Amino acid sequence: MLPLGLLRRGEKAEIVSIRERGCSLKKTDLDCRTEDIGLRPGKVVEVLNNELHGPMLLKIDESRVAIGRGIAMKIMVKQQASN
Amino acid sequence: MGSVDQGEPNKKKIVVAVAGNPNSGKSTLINALSGSRLNVGNWPGVTVEKKSALLNTSEAEILLVDLPGTYSLSPYTQEEIVARDYLVHEKPDVIINVVDATNLERNFYLTIQLLELGIPVVVAMNMYDEAKAKGFRIDKKSIEEILGVRVINTVATRKEGLDDLLDTVKSVELNPDKFSPKILSYGADIDAAALKTAEMIEEVNHQNIKDIPIRWIALKAIEGDSKAIEDSGLKIDNSAIEHITSHLHAAHDSDLESVMADARYGLVSGLVREALVRPGVQRVELTEKIDRVVLNKYLGIPIFFAAMWLVFKLTFDISSPFMDWIDGVTAGPFSKWSAAAMQSFGLPDWTVSLFTEGVVAGVGFVLVFVPVIFAMMFFITFLEGSGYMARAAFVMDKAMHTIGLHGKSFIPMLLGFGCNVPAVYATRMLENKRDRILTALLIPLMSCGARLPVYALFTAVFFSAYAGVVIWSLYVMGILLAVLMGLVFKKTLFRGEAPMFIMELPPYRMPSFRNLTVHTWEKGKHFLVKAGTYILAMSVLVWFLLNLPWGVEHKKDSFLGRAGQVAAPALEPLGFGKWEAASSLITGVIAKEIIVGTMGEIYTTDERANDAVKSENAGSAYNELKDISASFVKAVKESAINVFSTFGISSLALEDDEDAGGLKQLLKKEFTPLSAYSFMVFVLLYMPCMVVAIAMKQEFGTWKWYGLAFAYQTALAWIAAFVVYQGGRLLGFE
Repeated sequence: MLPLGLLRRGEKAEIVSIRERGCSLKKTDLDCRTEDIGLRPGKVVEVLNNELHGPMLLKIDESRVAIGRGIAMKIMVKQQASN
Repeated sequence: MGSVDQGEPNKKKIVVAVAGNPNSGKSTLINALSGSRLNVGNWPGVTVEKKSALLNTSEAEILLVDLPGTYSLSPYTQEEIVARDYLVHEKPDVIINVVDATNLERNFYLTIQLLELGIPVVVAMNMYDEAKAKGFRIDKKSIEEILGVRVINTVATRKEGLDDLLDTVKSVELNPDKFSPKILSYGADIDAAALKTAEMIEEVNHQNIKDIPIRWIALKAIEGDSKAIEDSGLKIDNSAIEHITSHLHAAHDSDLESVMADARYGLVSGLVREALVRPGVQRVELTEKIDRVVLNKYLGIPIFFAAMWLVFKLTFDISSPFMDWIDGVTAGPFSKWSAAAMQSFGLPDWTVSLFTEGVVAGVGFVLVFVPVIFAMMFFITFLEGSGYMARAAFVMDKAMHTIGLHGKSFIPMLLGFGCNVPAVYATRMLENKRDRILTALLIPLMSCGARLPVYALFTAVFFSAYAGVVIWSLYVMGILLAVLMGLVFKKTLFRGEAPMFIMELPPYRMPSFRNLTVHTWEKGKHFLVKAGTYILAMSVLVWFLLNLPWGVEHKKDSFLGRAGQVAAPALEPLGFGKWEAASSLITGVIAKEIIVGTMGEIYTTDERANDAVKSENAGSAYNELKDISASFVKAVKESAINVFSTFGISSLALEDDEDAGGLKQLLKKEFTPLSAYSFMVFVLLYMPCMVVAIAMKQEFGTWKWYGLAFAYQTALAWIAAFVVYQGGRLLGFE
């Protein structure tokens, strides 16, 4: 397991857990839309762009989603053999 | 709900809410259905306002209500709250759920939540053509059966399937029971808990709940969505909820919001497995290829700045010949004809003066800038519609973190280059209040279209050879100062964590010409409306202020002149401590376009009189009309040449002929290049206009933040102009 933020371009990984997952009304700073946008355990995502600083770009299902580094380091993934 | 009073049997009215993800093509679809002009963009959250359209069909009136684009009905963003409040409290007859057929997983997550409300849903399977081109096969029948909805394939951009969609809406409305959505199972334990919760709520609230979807409220209560409960006005027994859900907690070892999300996603992935067959091999899409370049570590930011530069360059190259043309027409033949006409009706001299010097000079000077503003709006619309705007947010995310914001804040700021007012409203797309306020405070530093007339005028007079560079430098200065102020705010008023960034990047698309023109018009319209209202009114007011007390000999002694004289000494160290400049700046508080209009009124009175005399022998009205159309053709030609020739053309070159404007000649006497630049810097930075003030009050509910913007910007403007002017003098400029 490693943080999603450390994967390189072209790698695929299955999301295992998201630290601080789930959000309450009080914690609006933590962007709760990880769930809504499809970032959730079990999902396989592909890294389209990652410069190891700044935001990274993922492919989730059929869409491209940019996530900030802060979130990327909170998402733990299991790497998949790339083709 | 039969109405009794009307004599004629009224047509039935069907209320239809249109819901869907951002980028699902929802706005395009509602546009195509209604023919009305709604705002379409290509980045998430562009539809922040609730808009509606009334369709008159043979059997019924259909009221379409466009809900904000959302991914979910949770209570975390403004859009979500607006959308769900409407659905829960206004109870539309039917929901059209616009779904992006190329991305079913994401879109069905919202669909599942819409079904919880118990309102009949018609799914518009949009962008069906793109899904087919990708090789997807979607089994409509099984979606309809599993969810209890109707599914219609649509291609909103080509208006395909829309009649079918409306017919389906009508038939669903006639028979709501037959088409009521299925109650989906979220797993035995959640279902049981929901049932118990619903019973408890019914018990506690007795009869007051018949209008509120009880299962939805029950699910929300289990999730701990206290806002939904609060807004429903229902009473709820929290300890009972805790009791009901305690075993859910224990069984799932997770918070209940995640448990519910898991249940919903479970349903969605089961549904997609059932209904969608993907092609074996997927090719690398064009969008991904472009993104590899555009989002590249080294190329991303240079490409962004190059794109910005190109936008400015094209804007001025295309518009400047038209600006000259309008200037020629309003300053010359139009004011002369209107003066002559008014005199021939025997109107008193002062009304003629009010009209030609006040209205024509004031509004006319501002109208000159219509071409440049529309050209700029066109390119901003293009960036938005093509999908590049979202990439700009991505590229700028890291830089934005240094000032305590994330990349998404960059989009409202970029829109600020068009006009600060919609930019302030666009801050709604941000998730939390801190980000929204901080972004709104920095937006006025983005040089809006209203400031452009001032730059255009002054660069034409003083820097005609490097107009593009000089204007570009002002825009860059605004950006750099926004960074500086962002740092200051981050360290003082807005301490706290840098917010999180999540944003969908839509695929690149070539925006349709119709789309571009409609939205360019939408954006530019504000400027024309302002010219017709605020600026007209202000021009008249300024004329009075310049001509009162009655019979004032010199404009310097008028009310406005005296106010300008009082303020002028404060501007002396900045290089333009003259009452004319000060008076213009005072009127610019209403809207910055007015600065140029006021200058027009102050400086040109005598010039116009000369023009009028000169033109006595200039020829007949017929010849003048011919000249006007001939010069328009010339303007079109020049504009085309500017675009297609190399970028070496000086865009705003001052014309040599004498009728290029007395104002320009006079400015040359009153300002030096250095003080002109200092003046432009001051105009760039000083207090945001009244319309921004109203927008900020509306958005944040208090004048406090506008007050802060007002104070810090005025101070900043003075300091920056001081540094430019005095620094420039030390360096030996003039």
